[in-house]
Amino acid sequence: MSPREDRRRISVRLSVLQYTVIVLFTALAVSFWVLQVVQHQKFEEMAENNHQRTLALRAPRGIVFDRDMQALVMNRHSYSVSIVREHTKDLNHTIRMLALVLNVPEARVREVVDRHRREPTYRPITIVQDATLAQVAAVSARRLDFELPDVMVEEVPTRQYPSDSMAAHLFGYVGEASDAQVAAATDLKSGDIVGQSGIERVYNDYLMGEDGAKRVVVNSVGREIRTLDEVEPVEGHRLQLTIDGDLQKALEDGFKASGFNGASVIMDPNTGEVLAFASVPAYDPNAFAAGIDRATWASLNADELKPLQDRAIQGRYPPGSTFKMAVATAALEEGIVSPDFKVYCPGHAVFFGRSFQCSLPNGRGHGLLDMRQAIEKSCNVYFYTVGNMVGIDKIHKWATLLGLGEKTGIDLPNEVQGLVPSPEWKRERFNEKWYAGETISVSIGQGAVALTPASMAVYISTLANGGTRQTPHLLKAVDDGKGWKDVPPPAPHSVVQLKPDTIQAIRDGLWRVVNVAGTGSNARLNGYDVSGKTGTAQVISLEGGKAAKGKSERDLRDNGWFVFFAPRDNPQISGVVFVEHGGHGGTTAAPIAKHVLETFFAKREGRPLPVLGAKGLPTAPAAGDEPVSPPSGPEPRTEVPGSPVTH
Amino acid sequence: MFERRLYHHIDWALLTAILALCTLGVIMIYSTTADPTRGNSRLFMTQIYGIVVGLIAMAVVLSIDYRAFTDKSHLIYIGLVGALIYVIFLGSVQMGARRWIGLGSFNLQPSEFSKVVVALVLAKFFGDHRGGVPGWVDLAIAGALTAVPIALIAKEPDLGTAVTIVPVFLAIAYLAGMQMRILGILALALVLAAPVAWKFALKDYQKSRISTFLDPSQDAKGAGYQQIQARITVGSGGLTGKGFMQGTQGQLRFLPVAHNDFIFSVLAEEQGFAGVIVTLGLYLFVILRALEAARLAKDRLGSFLVLGVLASFTFQVVYNVTMSAGLAPVKGLTLPLMSYGGSSMIATLATFGLVLNVRMRRFTN
Repeated sequence: MSPREDRRRISVRLSVLQYTVIVLFTALAVSFWVLQVVQHQKFEEMAENNHQRTLALRAPRGIVFDRDMQALVMNRHSYSVSIVREHTKDLNHTIRMLALVLNVPEARVREVVDRHRREPTYRPITIVQDATLAQVAAVSARRLDFELPDVMVEEVPTRQYPSDSMAAHLFGYVGEASDAQVAAATDLKSGDIVGQSGIERVYNDYLMGEDGAKRVVVNSVGREIRTLDEVEPVEGHRLQLTIDGDLQKALEDGFKASGFNGASVIMDPNTGEVLAFASVPAYDPNAFAAGIDRATWASLNADELKPLQDRAIQGRYPPGSTFKMAVATAALEEGIVSPDFKVYCPGHAVFFGRSFQCSLPNGRGHGLLDMRQAIEKSCNVYFYTVGNMVGIDKIHKWATLLGLGEKTGIDLPNEVQGLVPSPEWKRERFNEKWYAGETISVSIGQGAVALTPASMAVYISTLANGGTRQTPHLLKAVDDGKGWKDVPPPAPHSVVQLKPDTIQAIRDGLWRVVNVAGTGSNARLNGYDVSGKTGTAQVISLEGGKAAKGKSERDLRDNGWFVFFAPRDNPQISGVVFVEHGGHGGTTAAPIAKHVLETFFAKREGRPLPVLGAKGLPTAPAAGDEPVSPPSGPEPRTEVPGSPVTH
Repeated sequence: MFERRLYHHIDWALLTAILALCTLGVIMIYSTTADPTRGNSRLFMTQIYGIVVGLIAMAVVLSIDYRAFTDKSHLIYIGLVGALIYVIFLGSVQMGARRWIGLGSFNLQPSEFSKVVVALVLAKFFGDHRGGVPGWVDLAIAGALTAVPIALIAKEPDLGTAVTIVPVFLAIAYLAGMQMRILGILALALVLAAPVAWKFALKDYQKSRISTFLDPSQDAKGAGYQQIQARITVGSGGLTGKGFMQGTQGQLRFLPVAHNDFIFSVLAEEQGFAGVIVTLGLYLFVILRALEAARLAKDRLGSFLVLGVLASFTFQVVYNVTMSAGLAPVKGLTLPLMSYGGSSMIATLATFGLVLNVRMRRFTN
């Protein structure tokens, strides 16, 4: 091959390469045209999704005030640690790492993630609510090292309840919305914090507020670079309750000083406003505020004292002697007896071949009593006699009219209905006929009678205000951010037309209980005409006695009651104090009521509020306090559950 | 040695285009690494030093007749092989690979110089066979000369750089008159060898790179991630781009090594299709202008040398740009003249020193 041919061949082959390069570059230019111009929109969107993220800004729930605008339930800042799976490359690794850093079991983290697995990946899965500072610091440090790129630390407002579990059952608690709740409400999404009990639940719509949102630019490891725009969260509506914080504290202090469990509802008898509301023992709602841990939940549920139960509206207890006014009202209103009707009490009485004992020890009798004195002395024989004359149907009718055995309609969830027995009830429930002997037990608030403390509060308030059955309520005003607006109180449930004579006789009797020689002297406040009635009810029934084996003696002690109002004429405050296993109501319940009343009047008159000293409550045994009223003699085996039995 | 009249034969247009590309590279490196939230990075300064050293190297290469290099090419080749062996046993390790020789504060990467050395030795080898069509024996010897550095570099491991040496051999052999029939047989052998290589030679991460290239979405969080992000980066740039330092993909590090392997993606994002066309135009100009030098070369030796280095350069540019658009499997192949990297910059500028050298001396004897 000549050099010339060689040269020519080289030239040809260089031209081939030249055109190849031109074709390649043209192809590249076309490719970029397609990507950058033709498909630009699609990729621009993808780039935006890449680097922009919308974060929820949790709205604080509304603050809850008492009637004097003292803040009761507030919010505090807490930190929650969440996983955002949107850009997660290895979820298992993230879970392992996070469990290690947070010092929580890996299985728990995994369980939380699994529960939310089907949600959109951009939505954070909260692993730890209310993280400790150590946890926050540990996570933040790892994030800076890019070890936990998918983990987010959020500052979230968290509910803060008063210390000492104050009014725990009243406020209730909040928690993550359950699947059922999310399904039921369109505006709820998984992970939202909603009220689960108490007013937190009833007024959740007011309290919840609207979450805001923040659009941020994040880098490839999820770190926020800057904020694009932000919609501020709207705080939930503020609520003003009818509760008086000072009275509430006095009430709970009273229980604390007594050392007993129980429940109490204190009302304004003229409006139905609830001034104080307690159920003891309580739990700490703060433990729920940021997600309760399993151990705490289990121990609360397993606790024999049932701290989660709201005794005031969910506990049903025989009312004992506090029921006697219902019998008296029935007798007077039906015209069966007059207030001056007298009975001689020899210490016991025989009905239907059975002997029923009176309240004094050693079989002593009260002698001759009219109705006022019978209430004062809590004479069982008098009410056996009157109850027997009135009959079970009329007792049931008037007790119901006064609010007993019915729901009060209070604005709290899961209220239960009490029971005032009637022959119809017994037939339906047990398919058995009513024995006349049962009426005798019912006449002194034993037998099958079982009532909630809240309904007892309505009952005594109805007697106090002369026959208006108020609906107890807790909400006074709402501030939706544009100022306070009063919430109209619920209409009274009903009005019972009671004869003035009836009212007067019962009021006189109740006044004598506290101020003359009755069982309620521990609630006496000179100058305030406190009127009330003690009750001491057996808790042992036929069945209960068997079930009670192995329980401590204290568990078998009687329940003490005190229902009251003050002053006698034109009452301003009324209520019930129920002391579980407290023994005599006059000894344990009345002193608590007295402390509440003292506080109420002191506050109203601008005097310093009384403080319970180290000596605690005055617990001098009240003269003539009624002991347990066990009917002696053969009791029919058909006795309903919950009825007293003699040992 | 450097005669004054030669100065007038320097291809200033080519040099200008090269410097323009270097400048674009520095600008893009500044844009991707000068993150105000992390403190100013000095990477772009390092790149400028690399360019200055590279221009000095270019001047040195330019001042010596290219035939002096080819005459000594066997010695240079032995030196290169020695350096590569040294790297394998004693080189410094960075990012899991042993590729560098530590020289104080500067790390030299001998593999970057392998292309030009192979081009020198092959140009000499084929240039000496004046007039003949290279036969099987010639091709086998040339193939062996090419294979040794490839094997050593692949061992580092740096498969990307190793692959860039292959075009040197193919281009020179082609220009030397290798019959198309042989080229066809080689291509066929390659196709047949592919499944064997898949089974025995490739490492798992290399296999996964190839399989995810065929379907990026099958592993959108793993190996396919970079490819998808590259397409998003380029596509979101649009016609005119997001603006200098305004790219979200590169700036927020959705795309890894944005100042290095993916510098062209970031250019496409921030400067848009317009910037892409300008840059591609500059590269095309450089390549065509260098091809012109091969055509004008005084002797076969010069043509082979120019085409050898140019083949490697072109292959790398085309592959990197394709990869930048997410249209090729992700490989650690940089974009010559623009990507961050001192050794690469010096080697590339020195290489173009040879191209200018051949053109400049086309009239000398």
